[in-house]
Amino acid sequence: MSNAPALNIRDAAAEDARRFQANLELLAEMSQDFAASRDLDAALLKAVGHITDSVNAEGGALFLLDEQGENLRCHACVGATEITGLVIAADKGIVGRSVQNNLGEIVRDVSKDPNFFGGVDEKTGYTTKSILCAPLTVKDGRIGAIELINKRGGDGLFNPDDLHFLEALAASAALAILNARQADALLEQERIKRELELAREIQSSLLPRQPGDDAPIGGVNQPAREVSGDFFDHFPLEDGRICFCLGDVSGKGVNAALLMAKTASLYRCLGKAILSPGRLLALVNREICETAARGMFVTMVGGIYDPRTGVVTLSNAGHEPALLLTPDGDFQAFEAEGPPLGILADPPTKDGYPETAIDLKGGSLWIFTDGVTEGYVDDAGTELGVDGVKRILLETRGRTLRARLDAVVGVIKPGEGGMRDDVTLLGVTDTAAVRPAALAAAERGGGGSESIMSMRLPARADRLRVIRHAVRAALDFLDCEHEMTEQVILAVDEACQNVVRHAYGGRADGEIAVELRRDGDDFVVELQDFAAPVDTDRVKGRDLDDIKPGGLGVHLIHEIMDDVQFVTPPAGVGNLLQLRKRLNIKAGAS
Amino acid sequence: MKHEVKDVGDSVVIAFEGDVDLQTSPKAREALLATVGQGKPVVVDLAKVGYIDSSGVASLVEALQAAKKGGQTLALAAVSEGALRVLKLARLDAVFAIHASVDDAV
Repeated sequence: MSNAPALNIRDAAAEDARRFQANLELLAEMSQDFAASRDLDAALLKAVGHITDSVNAEGGALFLLDEQGENLRCHACVGATEITGLVIAADKGIVGRSVQNNLGEIVRDVSKDPNFFGGVDEKTGYTTKSILCAPLTVKDGRIGAIELINKRGGDGLFNPDDLHFLEALAASAALAILNARQADALLEQERIKRELELAREIQSSLLPRQPGDDAPIGGVNQPAREVSGDFFDHFPLEDGRICFCLGDVSGKGVNAALLMAKTASLYRCLGKAILSPGRLLALVNREICETAARGMFVTMVGGIYDPRTGVVTLSNAGHEPALLLTPDGDFQAFEAEGPPLGILADPPTKDGYPETAIDLKGGSLWIFTDGVTEGYVDDAGTELGVDGVKRILLETRGRTLRARLDAVVGVIKPGEGGMRDDVTLLGVTDTAAVRPAALAAAERGGGGSESIMSMRLPARADRLRVIRHAVRAALDFLDCEHEMTEQVILAVDEACQNVVRHAYGGRADGEIAVELRRDGDDFVVELQDFAAPVDTDRVKGRDLDDIKPGGLGVHLIHEIMDDVQFVTPPAGVGNLLQLRKRLNIKAGAS
Repeated sequence: MKHEVKDVGDSVVIAFEGDVDLQTSPKAREALLATVGQGKPVVVDLAKVGYIDSSGVASLVEALQAAKKGGQTLALAAVSEGALRVLKLARLDAVFAIHASVDDAV
């Protein structure tokens, strides 16, 4: 018996080495398992198996605290009873006690422990004799606990050495779980970031492109985060007017961006059929009220600008006042006359939101979100304010719309955490160039170009006869030879027919401007409509072998005239077709 | 634009007077197709048509096609200077049988 203690010491040393090895293996295995599968529960199950075997227990279960720290849920379980998915209150049972006290426990004989929950044994017929439980903790952060049941062999009871070993394993497991969770969170962050970038791309594709230098309407949008709750839009209507809007969805982030996408799409889609901003806002409002999430709303300004008259029809649903800058340098604010969209399903009046007609008279109209006025212009937190916006608009008078938009947005400084709010601004400028081509052409004069006649008339079939008479009169005035006169009349008639038949899509109130001019030795006819731009590729001569009604007119125009081309209309509005023919003067005429 | 339809011998003659343009060609087309619908040889008298545009020419082409389908003939007669100009510009003068007068055509 004298060598028995020596044997025990050797056994103990060997056992220590075995346990140290088991601990290292557990760490390595869990990390690898998780890295390979990204499935935490699968990694946990293998870990529980590893720990249960290492401590030589009959069964084991791993519980994790839920996010609120209220309940413990069994995520992995090995052994005779299957309790994966079992949820218990975070302070119940031996597991709960271990978590609450952040202490390992050994219950050598459960029958003597008042906290033992016998429900599982009753259901399964398994007899729990002894329990070993260790908290899963990293520093002060509690993650859960691991519980082992019944030691294999002997009396089935655990001893204090087993507890120490389990505690060591639990610490390693806790670290591995925390690492896995952090890696998971990081991956999730990356995924969300990528999706937000995609959302931003899609969202910015909903906004109109940057305006050209001579465009009367343009806007700018700078999101504070990846996606924006602000939006603006503008698009031509078939009658030559331009519909626009600017809106601000309450809140920021993805939910605001989704409501923004919905509102902007509704406005654009309905805006092409409902030619009244007030009725349009009422329709969009009803849609949002029916379907939008509770508590979200949209402040919005909708309008239609008529480049021929310089008049804007405006309707304001709970948005910041629109600012009119007159050519004299005075400002006038147009306040909201209805609540934001998404609050009350019934519109303010039976005709929808109230509308205001604003004659720009060569001035400009500006609509912006509070991100503009509340934007900081310095590091001290000074806000730009409405006065700041006015000052910049006054200073930049005479510059292009693009330059003025950039000037306002350019003074707003992003803070340390980026922009404070989405910054969105839209401008409507009434330029002199937006008058009909005929009038502008008449004024151009000089340079060998002399206007003979300029007229503007309803684009209707019964006015074609008037135009033919006018062309005849002009060519007679120029002493044009008979055959050419007859042919040019036909060509102009055919060109006007295309406007009457196609440009306004059957609308009865479209107009056509006709300018007849002598340009050196050429007779020049300019026809302008105020409809949506035509696809000029579609207006081409037909194959004469294919004799069918229609399309013949374009062939005749090209056959007769020397040059036929669409030129850019002065205001970028409508279509301007220019026909040119070398004059053939009557013999004997001076 | 006015038009008049009368029988001459075995043929039916439809005579137009005035401008056949975008405004009036729908009526001209209707009258032409109704005339072809009688099933007889058709003569279109264009002596008093001062002006005809592509939509008017298209109506003539459509009537010609309808006549051919019914095994009939459709001839143009006494084509005015204005109408002939458009037919030539459209290179359709060879497509139609063109006679100097209605008497020649029937």
